[in-house]
Amino acid sequence: MSIFRRRKFESEMEAELRFHLESYRDDLVRSGMDPREAERQARLAFGTVEATKDQCRQAWGLERLDELRADLRYALRGLRRNPGFAAVAVLSLALGTGVNTAIFGLTDAVLLRPLAVRDPAGLVFIQNAGAEGANGGPPYPCFELLRDQASAFQGLAAFSSSNLEVQIDDRRELARGEYVSGNFYDLLGIRPLAGRALRAADDRTPEQGGPDGPVAVISHNYWQRRFGGSREAIGHSFQMGESTVTIVGIMPSGLMSLEPGRPVDIAVPMMLSDAASLRNRGAWWLEVVGRLKPGVRLERARAQADALFQGFMGGLEISPEVRRLYFDRIQLAPAGGGTDALRTRFAAPLAALMLLSGLVLLAACVTVANLMLARATARAREFAIRLAIGAGRGRLIRQALAETLVLMGAGAALGTLLAVQGEAALARYFAAGNNPIVLDLSLDRRLLFFALAIAVATGVACGLVPALRAVRIAPGAGMQLSSRTVSGSRESARTGRALVVLQVGLSMVLLAGAGLFLRSLRQLQSVDPGFARQGVLTMDVAPEHADFGSVAWMTVQRRILDTVGGLPGVRSASWSSMTPLNGRDRGEVLEIPGYSPPTEEARRVHLAYLSPEYLATLGTPLLKGRNFTARDRPGSPAAALVNESAARFYFGQGDAIGRKIVFAHKPGKPAYEIVGVVRDSRHQGPRGEPWRFVYLPVLQAIDPVSRLTLSVRTAGNPQALAVAVVKSVQAARSTLLVSNISTIEKQVELSLMKERLVSTLSTAFAAVALVLSCIGLYGMLAYAVARRTAEMGIRMALGATAGQTMRLILREALILAGSGILLGIVPVAGIARLAHALLFGVTWSDPFAFAGAILILLVFAALAAAVPARRAGRLDPMTALRCD
Amino acid sequence: MKPPVELVQGTLDMLILKAVSLGGLHGYGVLLRLQQLTGGQLQVPQGSLYPALYRLEKQGLIASEWGESENHRKARFYALTPAGRKRLKAETDSWSRFSLLVAGILGASPEET
Repeated sequence: MSIFRRRKFESEMEAELRFHLESYRDDLVRSGMDPREAERQARLAFGTVEATKDQCRQAWGLERLDELRADLRYALRGLRRNPGFAAVAVLSLALGTGVNTAIFGLTDAVLLRPLAVRDPAGLVFIQNAGAEGANGGPPYPCFELLRDQASAFQGLAAFSSSNLEVQIDDRRELARGEYVSGNFYDLLGIRPLAGRALRAADDRTPEQGGPDGPVAVISHNYWQRRFGGSREAIGHSFQMGESTVTIVGIMPSGLMSLEPGRPVDIAVPMMLSDAASLRNRGAWWLEVVGRLKPGVRLERARAQADALFQGFMGGLEISPEVRRLYFDRIQLAPAGGGTDALRTRFAAPLAALMLLSGLVLLAACVTVANLMLARATARAREFAIRLAIGAGRGRLIRQALAETLVLMGAGAALGTLLAVQGEAALARYFAAGNNPIVLDLSLDRRLLFFALAIAVATGVACGLVPALRAVRIAPGAGMQLSSRTVSGSRESARTGRALVVLQVGLSMVLLAGAGLFLRSLRQLQSVDPGFARQGVLTMDVAPEHADFGSVAWMTVQRRILDTVGGLPGVRSASWSSMTPLNGRDRGEVLEIPGYSPPTEEARRVHLAYLSPEYLATLGTPLLKGRNFTARDRPGSPAAALVNESAARFYFGQGDAIGRKIVFAHKPGKPAYEIVGVVRDSRHQGPRGEPWRFVYLPVLQAIDPVSRLTLSVRTAGNPQALAVAVVKSVQAARSTLLVSNISTIEKQVELSLMKERLVSTLSTAFAAVALVLSCIGLYGMLAYAVARRTAEMGIRMALGATAGQTMRLILREALILAGSGILLGIVPVAGIARLAHALLFGVTWSDPFAFAGAILILLVFAALAAAVPARRAGRLDPMTALRCD
Repeated sequence: MKPPVELVQGTLDMLILKAVSLGGLHGYGVLLRLQQLTGGQLQVPQGSLYPALYRLEKQGLIASEWGESENHRKARFYALTPAGRKRLKAETDSWSRFSLLVAGILGASPEET
């Protein structure tokens, strides 16, 4: 009942009763009674007004509410009187709730939540699979075949991500793009926020689109960022290659494509992509998604798609080995959650984090339980007295419940606040860098429910049970309690000690776990990558489409290196088709005269183009032979470098230099002679074996050179030179498109994103658990000093020194901490085994992690013991003996 | 005049329902009507009238409304609801049967052999 309705109830009751009294009095006066006597008689006949009111309230069912309100008030007052208790309990609950809600939110966004498409369960990816697993969808002509003939599906749509070079209002820009078949949004049931979505009709003729000409939709985020949310964005057109594309609609940002986490700015119909790729029967660049017809079994749909696919493959020239490895059959995979890339990448780290945050919650629970237990023990006498003077046990239980409720409520509220902060920080962490992962980590109803459920479960499990136990006390026994005769509290002291040991054990697990993750991050960072991590600025530079592979582009490249190389603070500058860890890759198939490959796989290498300055700029040493020079240009003999891994793989102990390389799929190209061997560069990151690489001079590339990466080695902070370098690039040619400005160092850091996530968060979790166990330890020891004051007084009176008394307390601390440490060792081993996929270069029994954790725990245990121990040492024997 | 009779436990609700059934009344009116109907012989504790009224209203047997009393003051008037009417009938029936039984028992004379 609201306060206002309650007020109305009270005033109406008051008026009604007054009316009764006054009417009776008036009647008595009318019958001749003296007014004052009448007033007295009326009151007498009515009885106690307040009692009547109470009965009325009860009859109306208000007393329960009143009591609840009183209980809550009482609980608040009680907590205000014990601010330390209240603060620690609320904070523990908040940390437990907040940490778990935030991690659950992340897990939900990455792993659990289906995309907001129509009937996600009916969607499947149609993938080619072979001995090497599934790898994307079939070529476009095969997609058309499936779309038109696979009757088990309501419809099939294709999509493919690609960076799009667009020109908006005369400015060249790079947008994150998506090619989608016209029916894509329709099939998924995704509606536009404004304007219209793409339709099947928009995707009819190559390069033209449909009746409205080339059209595109943009994401809500891009609309805000690029067009300032202006209504005029719809109908606006931009240039893409030869086409003038009109924006027709704005789509929800998370549903531009089916790749969770990957932001997409612009989506255009398939027909606007490269016409040759659309016709190519051997180009594997699509993802294909289908919606099953209701009632059609998965296997039937697969068999039907597979039959069509096998027919298509029959007409394709492809080596049986490659076919067996990659394109053997069609496989269906659930598509309601989008593609798997993000999930695969973060499944293990998130599982580990869920586990660790669960331990933090457990530590928080133990803290709260211990506090409640101590509080119940302290209040045993109070409860006994109240029971003795007639309080109902039910009422006492309700009061205990109210106190728990207040703590839980405050904990949940604060925890939710914490979770919101955490989610924001996590979202920022994931969105950093040139390949951001955009996650929707806003607090939704699911998360709120989760937070509340955790708080309630914790509160009930840890708060209520001790409180109920306290109420069960027998009044007679309870009243005799004093600090000297602690009957009944021996048991609770034992429980308290056990809880503290458990807390220390949990801290041990979390600290050693964090130690393992930190150590393995350090190990990853110390792997020699084969290039210099510091002091290299990188940026992508792209000429206009017409200039791809042109002499003019080569000339501009030279000019840029000259001007940038001359900038103050620049040591050297170079061009390459990729830099380590920038996410780009290029594979080729080799033929080496005099070498017979044992498998098809053995012919595959990674390929990059380099300018002669590259080795010096990236700090990659030349091991044998010579580097590229300016003389390695079109027309001169074709030269190649290989890395150590490739040299060892193809030539073993023999000399690589002088051997020839032929590119199997580039028939017109000459044989390249290997002129040098360079140190392995870990392009893919510190894990695994380095890739086999063949490097060619940019000027002798096997296909038209388009976008290149400019790397600049600087004397100082590379970021500081970014503006100057971009200026010189654009001074050389104003139409050049510069994008992805970064540093090698930043890219190395981003490549260790999940490792840093796990180690940072597990360290934070460990810190929380450590603080909680220090509080628990401190509380337990302070209580021990208070309880044993009289005993210590006797000891001191009998000649014990202050030092001996202090040692008593320190020994207690050591026993508690030591037991906890022992308790924690076995679970750490278990967790490390579970998480071994996340570890690198450390084993589960890593001595540094373990020794570090033990040392930290002992130091903090000593700190927690210091204050109570000093208090014990300073006891005055006379006062101690006299104490109650 | 005979001395006043004390209320039998548990009958107040029934009496109030009956009083209200004869036409809408305020609380004081209920008291007056009960006294009038019993010729002033029934002792109704005035204070206990109101908790009973509140209880009956909460149970939905009577409904209240603010109006003006005969002496032009604001008062809360009670009236029987359909549910109240049903209850009153049921209570009346069971009471008559009960009182007959009681009367029968109390009126029995020792059996003559």
